[in-house]
Order: sequence, then C-alpha cells, then structure tokens
Amino acid sequence: MMQTPFPAFDKRVIIFAGAYGSGKTEVAVNYAIGLTTSQNQPVSIIDLDIVNPYFRSREAAFELETQGVRVIMPHNEMCHADLPIILPEIRGEIERSDGKVVVDVGGDDVGARVLSSMVDAFAPKGYEFLIVLNARRPFTSDVAGSLKMMHDIEMSSRLKFTGIVSNTHLIGETTTEIVVEGYRLAEEVGKAAEIPVVFVSVVTEVAQQLDPNVVKVPVFALSRQMLKPWEEKVKAVRGL
Amino acid sequence: MNEKTHAIFTRPQSFRDVVTHYCPGCTHGTIHRLVAEVLDEFGIRGRTVGVAPVGCGVFIYNYFQTDFLEAPHGRAPALATGLKRVRPDLIVFTYQGDGDLASIGTAEIIHAANRGEKFTTIFVNNAIYGMTGGQMAPTTMPGQITTTSPRGRNVEECGYPIRVAELLSTLRTPAYIERVAVHTPQNIVRAKKAIRKAFQYQIDNKCFSLVEVLSTCPTNWGLTPNESLNWLEETMQPYYPLGVFKTPDAEVQK
Amino acid sequence: MTRILMKGNEAIAEAAIRAGAIYYFAYPITPQNEVGEYMARRLPEVGGVFVQAESEVAVGNMLFGAVASGKRAFTSSSSPGISLMQEAISYMAGARLPVVLINIMRGGPGLGGILPSQADYFQATKGGGHGDYRVLVLAPSTLQEAVDLTMLAFHLADKYCNPTMVLADGMIGQMMEPVEFPENYVEEPLPPKDWATTGCQGRDPNVVNAKGRAPIIIKSLALDPVVLEKNNLVLAEKYKLMKRDEVRFEAYKINPKNRILVVSYGTMARICQTVIDELEQEEISIGLLRPITLFPFPAKEILAEAIKPNIESVLTVEMSMGQMVEDVEWAVKDKRPIEFYGRTGGIVPTPEEVKDYIMKILARETPAAKNWNG
Ligand SMILES: Cc1ncc(C[n+]2csc(CCOP(=O)(O)OP(=O)(O)O)c2C)c(N)n1
Ligand code: SF4
Ligand SMILES: [Mg+2]
Repeated sequence: MMQTPFPAFDKRVIIFAGAYGSGKTEVAVNYAIGLTTSQNQPVSIIDLDIVNPYFRSREAAFELETQGVRVIMPHNEMCHADLPIILPEIRGEIERSDGKVVVDVGGDDVGARVLSSMVDAFAPKGYEFLIVLNARRPFTSDVAGSLKMMHDIEMSSRLKFTGIVSNTHLIGETTTEIVVEGYRLAEEVGKAAEIPVVFVSVVTEVAQQLDPNVVKVPVFALSRQMLKPWEEKVKAVRGL
Repeated sequence: MNEKTHAIFTRPQSFRDVVTHYCPGCTHGTIHRLVAEVLDEFGIRGRTVGVAPVGCGVFIYNYFQTDFLEAPHGRAPALATGLKRVRPDLIVFTYQGDGDLASIGTAEIIHAANRGEKFTTIFVNNAIYGMTGGQMAPTTMPGQITTTSPRGRNVEECGYPIRVAELLSTLRTPAYIERVAVHTPQNIVRAKKAIRKAFQYQIDNKCFSLVEVLSTCPTNWGLTPNESLNWLEETMQPYYPLGVFKTPDAEVQK
Repeated sequence: MTRILMKGNEAIAEAAIRAGAIYYFAYPITPQNEVGEYMARRLPEVGGVFVQAESEVAVGNMLFGAVASGKRAFTSSSSPGISLMQEAISYMAGARLPVVLINIMRGGPGLGGILPSQADYFQATKGGGHGDYRVLVLAPSTLQEAVDLTMLAFHLADKYCNPTMVLADGMIGQMMEPVEFPENYVEEPLPPKDWATTGCQGRDPNVVNAKGRAPIIIKSLALDPVVLEKNNLVLAEKYKLMKRDEVRFEAYKINPKNRILVVSYGTMARICQTVIDELEQEEISIGLLRPITLFPFPAKEILAEAIKPNIESVLTVEMSMGQMVEDVEWAVKDKRPIEFYGRTGGIVPTPEEVKDYIMKILARETPAAKNWNG
C-alpha cells in the first residue's frame, strides 16, 4: 500500500477551482475533513458554488460538521434557491487570521467569476489557488485545453493558480492507468504553466494500487461523499 | 452586517427587520428600502399589494410588511392589471428585473403601459440575468461577457441593449417614466424622489408609472462592490442616460 | 473513442450536435442551463446557430420556423419553460413537423423549486397543449442512454414528422457519468423532407407533393371539419404506428419467481434497481419493468409480466404524486392490485423508503394488498 503524507500548505486559505465536473467538490470536501485530522486547528469550508444547482459541498454538510468542519453555506429554503447567494460572513471568514479555510468554487470561468467580486479579500494574506484537473473531461483532455481552462479561470477570477491537483477519474470506472495518464498530463501542464503538481487525488481503492515510482507527488485518498441517490444507503430527508 | 445595525435606526415600517439574501454590494436591497420608505411616507402600507418577479427579487415578499403576489416569470404587469382593475382603491406595484420585464415579459409591460394601467413598476436594470447565474439579458452591454455570450455580446446577432424607459416613452398614452441609478448617495436621493413621484401619480389615479433603476450585480459581473459602482457609472450610465422621459402633463421633459 | 466524463446536460447537448442538430433556440432556466452554455461554446465551432430567445413562447415558435426549413433544430428547458411552449407544440403537431424538445424536469406546480422531479409526465404524454395529438416521449435513466435517446429522438421526429421529447429529471441533467459517442454515426435512411418550405424555385408550387400539400404551406388551420378530421385521422394513424413499432422498455431481473413487478422510469428506476439488488440478497425476488418510451407506453408488456402467477402486486414508483401509475392501472386493468409510492416537490425517494414500502406490500399491510383476493 502506498503511504504518502497529507499534502499540507502553509497558507491558511486553500481554494479549489477547475472545470465543471473535474471533481473539485469531492476533493475540497475530503481535503477539509483531512485537515481536521492532520492539523490541530479549526477548519472551515466555504461553499462558493453558485452555478451548480445540485452536488455542491453543502450536500455533505452533515458529514463535514460531524468531522468538525464548519460549513459556510446558505440555510433553510435558501440552500436550494435558484439564485446566487453570497453570505456576508464569507468575507470575514477569509480575512480572519486563525485556522484553515477551504473554498469550493463552481466550475469553469463562469463559476470562478464570483472570486473576482471578492478579490480584495484574498489578496492581502495570500492563498493557495489550486486547479483540479480531470483529463477525462471534454475541455481538459490535453495540455492546450487545460492551459486554456486555467487561463480563462484566471481571467475571470483575477487570481493566479499556485498548483495543480491531478484528479483524473471516471467515477466507478477509474483504473490506475487512467490515474497515471492524468498525472502525466498534469505534469506537462505544470511544466508549461510553471506551477507544481501538488498532489494526485483518487478514491482509496485505486490510491492503494498506485506505484510511488511512477506517481512522484503525494497521493491523497478520497472517500466519496457526493453520492447519487441510488448509491446512498441511508440519507436523512433534508429538513426544509 | 452593518446594513442591519443601520436598520435599527431607520428601518421603515414597511420593511421587515431581516437580513436579505442579496450578495454583498448588490443594490437590490437599496432599491427595496427606497420603495419601503415611500410606502411609509405616504402611509399606504396597509392598502398596498406588491407583485414579485422571477429573478433575484423573487423573495421581495420576505422583506416587505405588505401583501404580495408572486407572478410567473415576466407576467407581473398582467397580474397587476387584473388586481388593480378589480380593486382600483389598492396601491399596486410590480418589482421586476431586466430579464423579467424586458425579455420574457416585454409584451405585458408594453401593453400595461399602453393601456395606462394605474399601477407602478420598479424596473431593476442590472444588465444581466442575476438569478440564473449570469446569462445575457436584453440590457446586457455590447461586448459584455456573460455565460451565454462567452465571447461578449455581439450586436450583429443580439442587437443593441434595449432602453426600456425610452422605448415606453414613445407610447402616446400618458405615463410617468424616469430612469435613475443608486450607485452614489446623491443618486439614491434622486431615485427616492422618482419613486415618490411614481407612487404619487398612482395615488392621484393619474397614469401608469415606471422607474427604471440602474443596479449592480457584483457576483455575475465579476467585480468587487466598489468596482461595480464604477462600472455602472462608466459603462452603463452613458448608454442609459438618467432623467425623466415622460410625464403625463407634458411631452418629454428633460 | 475513449470514455469521457460528462454532465448530463452537456452530454445531451453534444449528442444533439452529433445527430446534426446545430440550430438551438432557448431561454435560460435551472437546472438545464449547462445545455445553453455548452451550445454557446460549441456551436460556433460547427457552424451552428444559437438564439437566446426573449421567452419560451418565442422559443417554441422559432423552432416552428426552423424545422419547417427541413433542418434539425431543438430546444432544452425545464418544466415552467416547457409549459410556455405548449401552444407551439400543438401547432407543430398539427402541422406535422419534426422537432425535438428536451425537458429537464424540476418540482412544480408553478415556480416550484429547482430539484429533480417527474411531475411533467401527464403534460408530456397526454398532450399538454390543445387538440388531438401526441408527443413521442423518451425517458433516459443513465447518461449513456441520454446520449443515445437524444440522437434517436431526432431520428424518430423525422421519421414520424412529429414533436419528440426527451423527458429527464434534473438529476440526469446535473449528474456526471462516463459516456461515449458513437463514431461515424450514420442513421438508417429517412424519406426526403419534400414538405419543407425552401422556396418554390425550380419546382412547381401547384404540384401536389408526396404529403398532399400544394403549394407547400405548413399549417394547422382547417376550417372545414371534414378536412380537420382527416388531418386528425392521419395523426392517429401515425400514433398507431408508433405504438406498434416504437415501444421501448428494459426488463431488469424479471423472472418467474418475482413476487412484485415494479414499474418505474428515469432516475427513479435506478433507485428501484438498488432496492431490487438488495432484496435479492435477502432472497426476495422483485422484477423491474422500466419504460423507455413513455408514449408509446409499454402497456402490453407490463400486462404480460403482471399476470405471471407469482406476481402479488404491481408497484409504480415515481418522483410525483402518481401520474404514470394511471397508465399502469389502465394496462393491468383489474388483474392485479396496483400499488404506488412516490415523493414530490424535488424530494427523491431513498432506496430505504422504497424497500420499506415493498416490505409492507409483501406483509399485506397496504390497503390495495389487503383488499386483493386474487
Ligand atoms: C418560464 C420561465 N423561464 C425561465 C425561468 C428561469 N429564470 C428565473 S429568473 C430568470 C432571469 C432573471 O433575470 P432578471 O429578471 O434580470 O433578474 P435579476 O436576477 O437580474 O434581478 C430566469 C430566466 C423561469 N423561472 N420561468
Ligand atoms: S446575483 Fe447579482 S442581482 Fe442577484 S443578488 Fe447577487 S449581486 Fe444581486
Ligand atoms: Mg437582471
């Protein structure tokens, strides 16, 4: 089994962005939970996805809160509102100086545009801005497409990427070959963009089979939180 | 939060003491407050019925201490017509975004204005579909990037932004039509005056009245609240000039 | 081709392009906005056209004009938007035009909410607009099927000159699954669109063409009741052919040991499959018949399974208060007790809930099961 250290960062604000469906939310939710066990400080997650109506980190709120992660998301009726909701407390959370904050952003340049409306909050203290890449998504399946995606997101968010998370997968059909193929692409993209691949993320079952001689960066094992209704064994009916 | 502390001192009776769902820097909230203050000043809260749009303003009924109807997307002027014709003693107003009023509901607003329905419309022009995540509106500026105009609004295919105040002012039927903005304190004062006048015409049973308010959408414009105020002034305002376009008593007065 | 991960809305958009439908007319509405966003990006690459209309009323009528040219055109929307298109759909059915509509359903009635629902079944399958017409309705339950059925929808629309709808719930629009697109896609040949309004240059406008229209005027107006009835009979004939040739369904774990026959479609059917798999572990045999075409409805097939000797009841599960169940009742007549389980308003029943209900039926604790004497 492959054992690698938790991919920690010095900066307190860690933002995950990427193409629609790259798996940002799954990575962000797992990462926030990972932070609570690996570091002795308060952890919060900000659901800044205002473009996806479903499958947002707020759906894992129960699991997150159970693990000690504070979830910043709209409540009650507003949680399922067909409108963008930017809570006033988000800015405060970003500007605070203690603890770690994970930010889960909506997909593509469209989803990242909201960052631009609070760019002045991020800038002063610095941040990690990570692009989550899935080589099995239509617009990021090669170097040129990935670089274009990064460029578009940087333009609309007005933030600069600091690292790449290689999250290539096909959900239930993910194999080590697919993960390695994505990792190689991520390395090439990283070289071209002059930023490092900070970690590879993949479900635990596949993570265990990866060869450390091939994947030379930390491997972050995911346990799937964003399940489809027929995959969920027990799900409390959401109180609305 | 400081919106709330501010509210303790000045909250109009027509306005509920709750935090709104609007994004930081969004001026929908300011416009709500102006309407609420005017209802208070005229003492008409108890006989006023609002008609909510489908758009970011859909939850307006959560913020007002008045009766409300929620209309299908774009149809608020038709609901308002129905209500006002049956109960002319009520004060009826619609609150509509630019997608709601100038796109799907174009027919309804033109015909309500043309019939000279005696209700008031507060038209919030933020040059975008805020609620559904930033698609192009009929009022989107040329070249403005939105999710459905990823290369910028192309006027060859989409035409130029619709100037609603000017368009409605071409109708022969008497009406009161003014365009205002809410990006500076002076403009807010002028906006409030316009809204007051609009309701005054309705109270006097004079004519249809509409106030177009240039408003911000920091979230979908991708600008900080301050930058949004500048964008409104520098990009929108030259194309959408402020002023009175029509009064029932005179021809265009500027 | 490699398998790629797509969101349902994108997969449907790409499938339409692959089927040659590069004319797209729409108005934004959640939860299907990704179709328009995808088209805004892709259509310029393939020389297509995307018009963001001023309303869904206009969308329906823009489609009327677009498909009258003989080209493939389509729209996507969600429940409230589809309601606004009903007038145009009725006109297009009357004028016998092939159009494809994608409905990514959300909870209603009225403005409702944005979460998944199957409450537009009646509207889709029973007409929706006025007059004696039917819409061919296809209901995918996986993203691969959404791709395949979207492509098929264009074919069937052309084949029958009839409005065709892909009816999916918001879950299918929003979820991600690996899909692949058929390479070098070729369809079986279709009759030429000699009815299209392309200008009479080079042909005689007075010649009665194959469809009996002279000159080519695409319309649904028929003031003479005899003429109007004739048009309705032509339509009826078409619907009869669809019922004969186009019924599609999937049988899942159907076998002679089944004690209950479940009928369910779309996302709901996948939840039922999870339940059926679990019950199989506990040695309780349940079969699922999943209609893929909602019109034409697999009524005969349902009846054939329902009357198998071991079947104690027929259970319909829907994300609505019970709409398809009326077709199931009509199919099964009074040969077996009909059970229904559903949640609505955007709530998706969990596998647990469905399983509990099945256990109640087996224990004869539900009213229909109690009253059934065989
Ligand atoms: C019939 C119908 N079509 C589409 C929608 C989706 N929809 C909701 S709000 C909206 C546009 C809102 O934009 P605007 O009126 O400009 O208001 P804003 O949010 O910008 O204030 C749309 C298209 C709907 N609810 N009903
Ligand atoms: S999306 Fe735009 S219009 Fe809507 S509340 Fe946010 S800033 Fe205001
Ligand atoms: Mg707007």
